[in-house]
Amino acid sequence: MDSEKIKKILLEKFPEKIEEKEVCDFSPAFDVDKDIILEVCRFLKESQELSYNLLSCMVGVDRGDGFEVIYCLFSFSQKHKLTLKVPLPKDNPEIESVTPIWNAANWHEREIAELFGIKFLNHPDPRGILLPEDWDEGYPMRKDWEGKDFVRLPEKK
Amino acid sequence: MGPQHPSTHGVCRFVLKMDGEQIVNLVPHVGYLHRALEKIAENRTYLQYIPFTDRIDYVSSMFCNQGFCLAIEKLAKVEVPERAEYIRVIMMELNRIASHLIWLGTFALDIGAVTPFLYAFRERERIMDLFEMVCGQRMTFNYIRIGGVSRDLPSEFIPKAKEFTDYFEPKVDEYEYILTNNPIFLARTKGIGILPKELAIDYSVTGPNLRATGLKWDLRKDEPYSIYDRFDFEIPAGQNSDTWDRYMVRIKEMREANKIVRQALDQMPEGDFKKRVPVLFKPPAGEVYTRVESTRGEMGFYIISDGTTKPYRVKLRTASFSNLAVLPEITRGCLIADLVAIFASLDVIMPDVDR
Repeated sequence: MDSEKIKKILLEKFPEKIEEKEVCDFSPAFDVDKDIILEVCRFLKESQELSYNLLSCMVGVDRGDGFEVIYCLFSFSQKHKLTLKVPLPKDNPEIESVTPIWNAANWHEREIAELFGIKFLNHPDPRGILLPEDWDEGYPMRKDWEGKDFVRLPEKK
Repeated sequence: MGPQHPSTHGVCRFVLKMDGEQIVNLVPHVGYLHRALEKIAENRTYLQYIPFTDRIDYVSSMFCNQGFCLAIEKLAKVEVPERAEYIRVIMMELNRIASHLIWLGTFALDIGAVTPFLYAFRERERIMDLFEMVCGQRMTFNYIRIGGVSRDLPSEFIPKAKEFTDYFEPKVDEYEYILTNNPIFLARTKGIGILPKELAIDYSVTGPNLRATGLKWDLRKDEPYSIYDRFDFEIPAGQNSDTWDRYMVRIKEMREANKIVRQALDQMPEGDFKKRVPVLFKPPAGEVYTRVESTRGEMGFYIISDGTTKPYRVKLRTASFSNLAVLPEITRGCLIADLVAIFASLDVIMPDVDR
């Protein structure tokens, strides 16, 4: 299905909660309100004409003034793509876990939670994944993170 | 089991709950090889980061190079010269063969067959020689650049590579002769570690593991990037999605990769091997997510550029990460001896998981 049609379906179903964005090579892309993420994801997977069955990737981003969680979806049957972007506040970032919809989200969410300090609500297994068990130096992927051996290199001219 | 166990192919630890010889539950512990490659990316220029991509999946580095460069080329709309595209395809497909050979050797070794290991490494050595001729490195090549490749092929490469494709074809029959219908091999692999299609998709398992479930999905064919649409090749698929099918898919993929290399060598045009781009390359501000079909499955790069010389964020979507996550599901109720065979058949590379 082409991007225009997907956009139309989503805007009709979730008016005022969705805004179009641009991601090269994985379009269409939308900003989604964090309160409805579970509802949107369930619709995307279960709807016959969309049937996004593959969660290809999940990305956490520190935007400086807030966080963002990005979902890259793909459908094997319809062969179309979709990127969902969910902005989160800087203080106390929380979002509903999508693991009940795609099991692939499980490890991705554990990774984002550990590296960015974003809390995934109702996650079935909220342990860390990549960092050492006794890690106590905060959330290393945040832009304002200071580690004892970490040196930020100056911008080259 | 692990982290220092000969069959975990790297540093990975499983906490197993057993009922006699049967696995009740398995919890993988990863992260021993976490090198913070995503954090490092935010602190390096685009060109400086290419050698780091080699270390993501060190047995198929060409795909990591290509995935990263392809993402930036798409974002910045850099056109790659035709000759460079052909060189890239040849390198990637040779790398696919080399990587599958490592897999074949270690997989067979894990279930007790020592000979295929020696055979596989004999052929792989020849591929390593070809890589060394081209970029001076046997692993971690750092060969593919934004807009092309780092240097042109030496004049003796094409005849040597043609010689290899002719040499390699019958060698695959040799592997098949010792393994495919070997009763011990069949007993260890047939009907073991069944990964149903729906489960595989649910866990985003991709690559040969997904194709072994019968789903013919290959980005090279279904969403051709680079110049893959110019070659004639098949996508092998399995039926029973067991360990034996995963073996068979990879064996067939080696033959197909060999076919692609041969076609690419025949069609190779003259011309530039690299488009000139500035050393301090600045792609326009924006976001891109690109996937390539690496040896182990989908390799994705999500890159956010803010228009400066360094990327704002690089996310590496590696195939092994998702392929390993499904292991607890498919080993439940298996014998502990089969865990080794199933884990090996998924072809997980630990640095690829931990990044």
